[in-house]
Amino acid sequence: MTSEPPSEQTPDPDPDPGATEANVALAVTGLSVSYGNVVAVHDATFTVTEGDACAITGPNGNGKSSILMGVTGMVRRRGDVEIFGAQARNGDVRWAARHGLTLVPERRQLYPDLSAYDNVILGCYAWTRSIGKARSSGPFSRAIELFPELKPHLKQAAGTLSGGQQQMVAIARGLASDPKILAVDEPCLGLAESVARRVYDVLAKIHEQGTTLIVVEEAPKRALTLCNRRVEVRNGVAANSRAGAA
Amino acid sequence: MKFGNLVIAGLVTGSIYAVFAVCVSVWYRVSNILNLAVGDFAMCGALGVDNLVRVRNWPLPLAIITTLAVVGIFAFAYDRIVLRLAQDGPRRQEGIVITFFFTFALSFFIDGVAKMLFGSDVHAAPALWNGQSLTWASLNLPRAGLLVLGCALIVGGAFWFYIRFTLGGKAMEASGENSLGARIVGIDTRRYRMLIFIGTAVIAAIFGIVESPITGYTYLSGATISLTGFLAAAYGGFRKPGRALLAGLFIGILEALLGGYVSAEYGDTVMYAILAALVLIMPRQLGFESAVGG
Amino acid sequence: MNTLSSLGTSRTRSLMPTGLVLVVGAIIVGVWGDQYTGSVFILALCYSIVTAGMAVQIGFSQQIAFSQSVFMGVGAYGVAMLNTHYNMSVLEATPIVLVASAVAALILGSVVTRASGLALAVATLMLPLIAVGYVSSAGFLGGAVGAPLTGNLWPGSTPEAVAVGGGLVTVVFLAIAVFIASRILTSDIGLELFVLGVDERTAAAMGVRTPRRKLELFVLGCVFAALGGAAYAGTQQFVPETLVDPTAELALLIMLFIGGRRSIIGAVVGALIIQYLQGAWNWVSVNILVVEGLLLTVVLLVDPEGLAGIVNTGLAWLRDRLPEGRIPLALKIQPVIAGQNLSAGETAETAEAGEFALQPVTVSIPVLPDGAAETETRTPLLAVTDVGKEYGGLSVLDDITITLPSRGLFGLCGPNGAGKSTLLNVIGGSVPPSHGQVTLDGADITRLPPHERFYRGVSRTFQAVHLIGGRTVLDNVAVACLSSHQAGLATRVVRSGLAEAREKASQTLDDLGMGGMKNREVSSLTLESQRMVELARALAARPRLLLLDEPASGLSQDQRRRLAVLLATLGERTCVLLVEHDLELVAQVSERIFVLSAGRLVFDGGPEDFRASPVVNSLLVGL
Repeated sequence: MTSEPPSEQTPDPDPDPGATEANVALAVTGLSVSYGNVVAVHDATFTVTEGDACAITGPNGNGKSSILMGVTGMVRRRGDVEIFGAQARNGDVRWAARHGLTLVPERRQLYPDLSAYDNVILGCYAWTRSIGKARSSGPFSRAIELFPELKPHLKQAAGTLSGGQQQMVAIARGLASDPKILAVDEPCLGLAESVARRVYDVLAKIHEQGTTLIVVEEAPKRALTLCNRRVEVRNGVAANSRAGAA
Repeated sequence: MKFGNLVIAGLVTGSIYAVFAVCVSVWYRVSNILNLAVGDFAMCGALGVDNLVRVRNWPLPLAIITTLAVVGIFAFAYDRIVLRLAQDGPRRQEGIVITFFFTFALSFFIDGVAKMLFGSDVHAAPALWNGQSLTWASLNLPRAGLLVLGCALIVGGAFWFYIRFTLGGKAMEASGENSLGARIVGIDTRRYRMLIFIGTAVIAAIFGIVESPITGYTYLSGATISLTGFLAAAYGGFRKPGRALLAGLFIGILEALLGGYVSAEYGDTVMYAILAALVLIMPRQLGFESAVGG
Repeated sequence: MNTLSSLGTSRTRSLMPTGLVLVVGAIIVGVWGDQYTGSVFILALCYSIVTAGMAVQIGFSQQIAFSQSVFMGVGAYGVAMLNTHYNMSVLEATPIVLVASAVAALILGSVVTRASGLALAVATLMLPLIAVGYVSSAGFLGGAVGAPLTGNLWPGSTPEAVAVGGGLVTVVFLAIAVFIASRILTSDIGLELFVLGVDERTAAAMGVRTPRRKLELFVLGCVFAALGGAAYAGTQQFVPETLVDPTAELALLIMLFIGGRRSIIGAVVGALIIQYLQGAWNWVSVNILVVEGLLLTVVLLVDPEGLAGIVNTGLAWLRDRLPEGRIPLALKIQPVIAGQNLSAGETAETAEAGEFALQPVTVSIPVLPDGAAETETRTPLLAVTDVGKEYGGLSVLDDITITLPSRGLFGLCGPNGAGKSTLLNVIGGSVPPSHGQVTLDGADITRLPPHERFYRGVSRTFQAVHLIGGRTVLDNVAVACLSSHQAGLATRVVRSGLAEAREKASQTLDDLGMGGMKNREVSSLTLESQRMVELARALAARPRLLLLDEPASGLSQDQRRRLAVLLATLGERTCVLLVEHDLELVAQVSERIFVLSAGRLVFDGGPEDFRASPVVNSLLVGL
């Protein structure tokens, strides 16, 4: 069903001259995801270095989201996934959350009847069960501070917020889990252009603060304003390619 | 005065329906299965305690603890064996089959076991708070009824506190609202599913123990209670515990009033006819469109 | 693959189970009729009559209603009363009771079947409770003691003759019931019922008069139950109050599910199993609840289609292992099973090359008569005027005005939640607008139900695939070619137009170049092929307005390219309104595009303007 031959993993031919020996945050080898008998991802092999902002791009329906779903454990997969050197447990998204990889899923997946505040604080569930500790923790405060425009809406039910506000709540929730890698799936789906820009501003800030980012984005131009690495997906096959390559 | 006493009686049974309805509703949100066996767990609580105390002469506290423990363990086993297979196993079940019929079968299985163990006579757990009914402002307040209301308030209050003020409680809410979104932050929705099921069973058993002195149970009583709890949950569209709670109270009071004013024999019949009519007249307002699974 | 459709006519296929029941039943009754085993068998037959009706109503058509035990009681008590108070023989009383039941079911059903799905189940769940409350209090019915009969089903001189005669009469009743049920299921209305069971909305969109069919199914289930009750009263000579218990309803459901809810013979077998278990071992009879609960749980876990499903799987396994030519006829026969319903995304292995070859579409869709020149002033085919839709104060559609001519391809886009599906539903008829008007060819169709719109040439697909699993592509497409919509359920005992419908479907499939997959079972197809089957189904109705809801969803790039070619040719022959998220695809094939945002129409223009429009670009990402 693929029309292009699978490409092998090519080490980045042009490494950042200033970079020191950085950790590999995420190493994916031969990833394959199927839903029933429909093969969504055929062969994905790529790495993400700590501190990177990596964009996963490609046309719709080619497997971008499925790659992220497989990597984070939302769906079962074949192939290997290593998060900071540790073998990820297949199909176990809680394992990923506890080992530093948090997913901000496509279409946000918030809890509509809970308040925005509750939505965000539940992100802390990844590392604590105590609401007291969560409330006074660094990650939670940082998540709230990053979105001043949410402050007046914190007590509102998440389902009543606008698309842009919901996206921010979703990202805040992801941040509250204190991730080393934040994986964002189609952050601008259904958002107006100005709102999308704001979202990317926030993502840039998060990246500056040291979090590794992986962003699945359908529009490559926008993603590349933020990202320095790129994984191109075609027909369910993915591999590293040079950022900025056409 | 008659009206007041009927309302009190209705509130007592209504609070039980309300608690059961909330349990059904909360569990449905997390599992997409309707628990049609709530009443049967209640019946087990009542008849179990009665059997241990009356027949085997156990001390009451021990009987209660043992019965609740057995109910809890059975619920755990059922979830582990049957529900896991049905929902997560190799042959995932479809829509109405799993939503309805599994617990339908469970309900009757429990009834049958109860008949085996306890026989077919009417029994009741010993009253926990003995004595004459209290009177207040010419209203008759039976002690057992007060106990039921008290239990409902405690259970309801504890649940409310859990949901509002603890992270675990919010996580349970989240599991019910968006299972995908819950898993992302590390919430084990499957475990909450199991916990709620076991919790429902044990809570139901407690209420059975507390309420049975008022009416007396047979091994078949569970079925009607299950149905009424289920109906009350239906009125909340199966997804809104708050509305289910109010519906439970409403049905309880309606049942009492119909029994008192219309006819002792046909009161229940009329009530079911009214409830059926409501479902037919306004299914959308009752949330049925969204509850239809497939 | 061999399915029942290739084996003879509908008449043959319904005669087989009927004959089986007659022969086996007569033998067993004849030999053992006067002994205990025989009496258990006869009792089981009475329940089988009821479960046969339930198979049609609940199993195949997914109309879950808990009315059967009540009407079994109606039949039994009715016969008992007529017998003891009016001295009628059971055989005389039975037709009277059946007519009375039919009338009662019609009245009750017209109220109850307005609900669907879970609402229907909940509403009818009260029926057994109401019934048992009434019966135990009503003195003249005998209350908790029950009602005895003085007569028998078969007036004979000796007890043996009475027993055997009664048993034979019951066998005949069952055979009649099985015959009627099989005839209906194998007829063209049978296809209507199957698609009704898959999805009510899809059925309505394909012309099935869902309210009428639901009522007919309800009445059928009730009348069959009453017949079973009459037989019960006549053979057992006593009507216990427990006949209308909620436990009785459960027992019936268990019999149905254990045997196979989508199998007439399965329903019969299920009743036999439960009754034999009760009759053979006293322990089982005493603890019947435990046994039933356990059995139902186990059966559901192993195969929700019950024994029939297990047998079917076994037969399929055997078939796969025998060389083609040596398959004995017995193995080619599948019990009348419709199989599982498809849920979106469950498909089989990847496509074989050339599974269907895309050829230029030659489907003959009515072309404008010569007189009506294609001028600018011709009446638009579809006019949506100021249509709005509110749900409890929340406005989902806001003053939408769109007109479409009788030919062309038009795109409808917008972000999630913009109201695209709602607008499609308003045009298709499954959702009435809060205000505004929808006209087709100048005629106001705003309040017309979906099946009426189908008759006027509106055809649609849905986002999720709703095909009848276990049936062939041909049968699934034939759903849109049926001429049985106006006919009553009962007429199908005598005639069936299924062959004609299949003819038309076959023609459409050939025109689309899909002739090679006619006899493939739909659940073995890939998602792309299934979507093509749904499209073929929509086209088979020769629509004047075709509504497509995200046809490209889930398809790969190559598959989308193929779809685009097909869509383009369709647009030349009829009017197509396409809801899609794939903006490239829409811009490629549409001559005009509408964009919705938050319920409002924010763009209406050609593809070039669409690509360049700043409004569109700010709304929709990816261009």
